[in-house]
Amino acid sequence: MKYTKIAAVSAAIALAATACGGDDKDDAGSTKDPATLKVWMMGEGTPEQTKFLDGVETEFKQKHSGTDVQIKYVPWPQVATTFQKAAAGGEGPDVTEVGNSDVQSHIEQGSLADITDEFKGWADGKTLNKTALENDGANGKTYAVPWYGGVRGIWYRTDWFQELNIQQPKSWADLVAAAKKIQDAKKVPGIGAPTDQTNALLSFIWGNGGEVATKDGGKWAGKLDQPQAVEAVNFYAGLVTKEKVAPEKYIGKNELEGPQRDFPLGKLGMYIDGSWALKEMKKISEKNADKWAAFPIPSKAGGNAPVMAGGSDVAVWKDSKAKAAAFDYITVLNNAKNAKSWADISGFSSMRSDVTFSDPKLAVFTEIAGNTKFPPLSAGWAEFEQAKKVLPNSLKAIMQGKAADSELKKANEQANTLLNP
Amino acid sequence: MLDTAPAVRRPPGRRPSGPGRSRRRPRMGPYLLIAPTVIVIALLMFWPMIQIGIMSFQKVGNRQLRGEPAEQVGSENFDTILNDPFFWQTLRHTVLFAVVAVTLTLAIGTLIGLLLNKLGGKMAGFVSGGVMVAWATPPVTAAIIFTWLFGTTGGLVNWSLDLLPDWLVGGGWDDYNWFAKPLSTYTVLTVCVVWQACPFVAVSVLAGLKSVPGELYEAARVDGSGPWRTFWRITFPILKPIFLVLVVMSIIWDFKVFTQLFIMTGLANRDSFNLSLYAYSEAFGSLNPKLGMGSAIALVLTLILLIVTALYVRVMVRQGETR
Repeated sequence: MKYTKIAAVSAAIALAATACGGDDKDDAGSTKDPATLKVWMMGEGTPEQTKFLDGVETEFKQKHSGTDVQIKYVPWPQVATTFQKAAAGGEGPDVTEVGNSDVQSHIEQGSLADITDEFKGWADGKTLNKTALENDGANGKTYAVPWYGGVRGIWYRTDWFQELNIQQPKSWADLVAAAKKIQDAKKVPGIGAPTDQTNALLSFIWGNGGEVATKDGGKWAGKLDQPQAVEAVNFYAGLVTKEKVAPEKYIGKNELEGPQRDFPLGKLGMYIDGSWALKEMKKISEKNADKWAAFPIPSKAGGNAPVMAGGSDVAVWKDSKAKAAAFDYITVLNNAKNAKSWADISGFSSMRSDVTFSDPKLAVFTEIAGNTKFPPLSAGWAEFEQAKKVLPNSLKAIMQGKAADSELKKANEQANTLLNP
Repeated sequence: MLDTAPAVRRPPGRRPSGPGRSRRRPRMGPYLLIAPTVIVIALLMFWPMIQIGIMSFQKVGNRQLRGEPAEQVGSENFDTILNDPFFWQTLRHTVLFAVVAVTLTLAIGTLIGLLLNKLGGKMAGFVSGGVMVAWATPPVTAAIIFTWLFGTTGGLVNWSLDLLPDWLVGGGWDDYNWFAKPLSTYTVLTVCVVWQACPFVAVSVLAGLKSVPGELYEAARVDGSGPWRTFWRITFPILKPIFLVLVVMSIIWDFKVFTQLFIMTGLANRDSFNLSLYAYSEAFGSLNPKLGMGSAIALVLTLILLIVTALYVRVMVRQGETR
């Protein structure tokens, strides 16, 4: 009884506290140093990352000595719900990292502050990747700043390629031939083709001159039912069903749920992943790490296919009471020195043109990053790709025997509705 | 649980306390005692449920979460889901899974309960210890463990099946993908859910068995009744109130199973969705939440549960009255 009462009272207090929590921030204005600056970083956070951010804070404090920077890590799977709570409860960050595919949704929902003027006054802004910057704006205004990017290539074993006399695959046919050779000689699947890896599938669609959707007079029009896209999807699914160089065990999975584990263990010939995968794979096995390398995803006829520019941006949250300090933090976080050390720690390429990797093994990713593309810049992409997972589910159905034509027709109808919210 | 059952059948008109006194001065004590619980439940359960009811007739996204007024869309959310064949597919999965899982949970749980009743001191402790571990494991942990057990690289199940002779289980188990098809996914899910749910059934049945007078069994044995007949003629009728509660609770639990399926298949396997996962993917699946749609699906799920439970309780109570 006593405990129930205490519980009831504390529940009531907790509710009351959250209810009015949004209002009791001080309205001192943005001219003075805010007491705290809340920074949200996406991902689990590593000791190296925390150390790096401590360094950024020290540098930030040279200008804002009175401000305490509070870092919060938001694991990627919880990102959507965390931002929903932030929007509903008013307990949002000041500065936040935003996945680049989510930026348009955030802008559309009015969650990000307009930083057009601040951005114009920032000299380093000119070093930033133009394509990435385009994704951060809407109606001529800037809402976020590109921070780091991730592009994917095909990881392979240099010793196996040498032993079996395989040259770097330059076309789809080469890729299949290489996978076959590895599969026959090494008795492991030649290549991983998971279904829940839209970024990889997009490279094949784009590498064949296809598109997911194009903007037609202010409206997105799906292009998945076009022959180029159908052929590309058929090729990717065919790695499993027709050529049988990719195993069925990755159906319904993403690249982390299998390939990233099997490749370092020597149980998979090739798979598609980014530069940041190197440190993850080393955690699983260091044994053959010196023999891992990557090459660009080939297009059908030859040459590098465009790759999806994954990555993150940084933005100022709309409800922030300290916009100026928040933007200052971004400029420190993304100055040349910090950008360089972050690239080396994280394995992600910097979005600054003047920063490159220190590790020569990752140099190829800088080359790959020269040919990037964005999926449709629509607020509806989040639902198309995250909630409905249209492409992964179509691909799964095709790999399990459904006809590509009809599946992609359905996917295309979905694209037509979802991309025009 | 046994003492709640007679309350249903208590003859009307008889009250435990003096009727005269309570008519003059209503006793506040019981209400005060129950008030904190009711308030907490009202705040944490009823209010959100009312909200879900309201939201299922609205279009609610992130902008509305920020405080913009939500647009009333009437029954549009319900029209959309009821006309979507995908909804019926998830509903079919939900119902089939509940039927199989509830049956298995009760059957296995009861058997474990009977076994525990028969076992002697040390062995009973050992078995109930194992049973408690399954019960105490959080659903998330259990789901992750089962994903590993049935996983492809280093999965214990595939490895064991591969070691078994091919004429017994067939070959090619090494790379078998359990989570690629709905049927195999739900097989794993059923094993995982039943493994976690039967301890509660076992312990409840055991508690009931301890209260059955030994003379009844002795009399049955003298009359030459076998274990099967004894169970259905003596144990089951006496424990019926317990089974009633257990069945209703199992139906509720298995209808709304979410955590395990979410961890095993994620959002990339829509062909294996059940209603809860469907509601989640609509409401929280992306940065463009459709909370109205999610609420509508959740409301449908709740209504189905209420109807099933109400029908079942009614049938059981009726049967009790006629006997």
